[in-house]
Amino acid sequence: MKSHAASSPSHAWLAGMREAIPLLGGYVPVAISFGLIATQAGFDAWEAVLISVLVYAGASQFLFVGMVAAGAPLWLVVAMTLLINLRHVVYAPNLAPWLTPSRAWPSLMHGLTDQVFALALARLPQLPASQRLGWFGGAALLAWASWIGGTALGALAGGELIARWALMGEILPFALPALFLVLIAPRFTSRRWSLALGLTIVVALALTILEFTNLAIPLAAACGAMCFQVMTFSPAKPAKPAKKEQHTQGERHE
Amino acid sequence: MSSALWIAILASALGTLLMRLLPLLWMRRRLERLGDEDGLDAMPQWLSMLGPLMIAAVFGVSLMPVKPDALSWIATAIGIAATLAVWWRTRTLGWPVAAGVATYGVIVTILG
Repeated sequence: MKSHAASSPSHAWLAGMREAIPLLGGYVPVAISFGLIATQAGFDAWEAVLISVLVYAGASQFLFVGMVAAGAPLWLVVAMTLLINLRHVVYAPNLAPWLTPSRAWPSLMHGLTDQVFALALARLPQLPASQRLGWFGGAALLAWASWIGGTALGALAGGELIARWALMGEILPFALPALFLVLIAPRFTSRRWSLALGLTIVVALALTILEFTNLAIPLAAACGAMCFQVMTFSPAKPAKPAKKEQHTQGERHE
Repeated sequence: MSSALWIAILASALGTLLMRLLPLLWMRRRLERLGDEDGLDAMPQWLSMLGPLMIAAVFGVSLMPVKPDALSWIATAIGIAATLAVWWRTRTLGWPVAAGVATYGVIVTILG
């Protein structure tokens, strides 16, 4: 992918926002649905918005309002919410090698969702160090704002919006798989990576079809990791002379 | 909203934030401890491997159409092919996504 970030920090913010625009296609319709479901579950509009501001984790928010509406014990609601979000623990360490020493990074971690992580893991290594903080801030802020705005829209006028623009709600979310495909495509650099990534995609899709959506991401990634490791120990052709490892994307473990 | 519910929301928010934040602080400390060593070499192998795999898993989950009928699956397959074709030509971020969404939208609208 080509680098689009301009030289000044403010341009880096704008570049981050521009590159995060495809995320909105997935965020806004889902956030509208969340706002609508939360109000239907008995939350006020401002309460739904506050949940989006504070928790900011799609699947777990739906689970939270659903379990509260069903009368589940609150300790269980919190435990399940955190369990679903457990996958987030591997995101920040993966980005850490490309983060600058700035003290602002920890405060930006609130915006580290699945989608922002995927975008950042692909783009941060391609940006000059001076642009990374601004780029991440712009991308994360736009994504967060769209999630909050979508929740507010859904809570205040979700029923009418979904009735009027049902087709848009069906089409726009396709921006997410399209974006993830663009982010993952450069990683198919070898037979080993291709098999591991392909298996991960198939398992994740299969689990989602079987309605194990919350387990799909960690389980599929674990399957892919096992595949990757098994390939290591398979009988291999005689290795080529060792070269100094190049840290390009998708080639770290070759 | 009851105070107990407020506490539940705040606990969920704080727990989620800590799951995003604490691993960063741990990794930064590890990188500092290892000093001059390349950042990627300092990262445990299992962890650096999980990054791309997590993106692949999120991609797999997102492939599920909003309305999973035959038309949506066909539109998804063609939309993915269009995205990949434009990415192959341009190697950019925005154009392939726009082409994919447009292709998906045209198929759903025309055949739907």
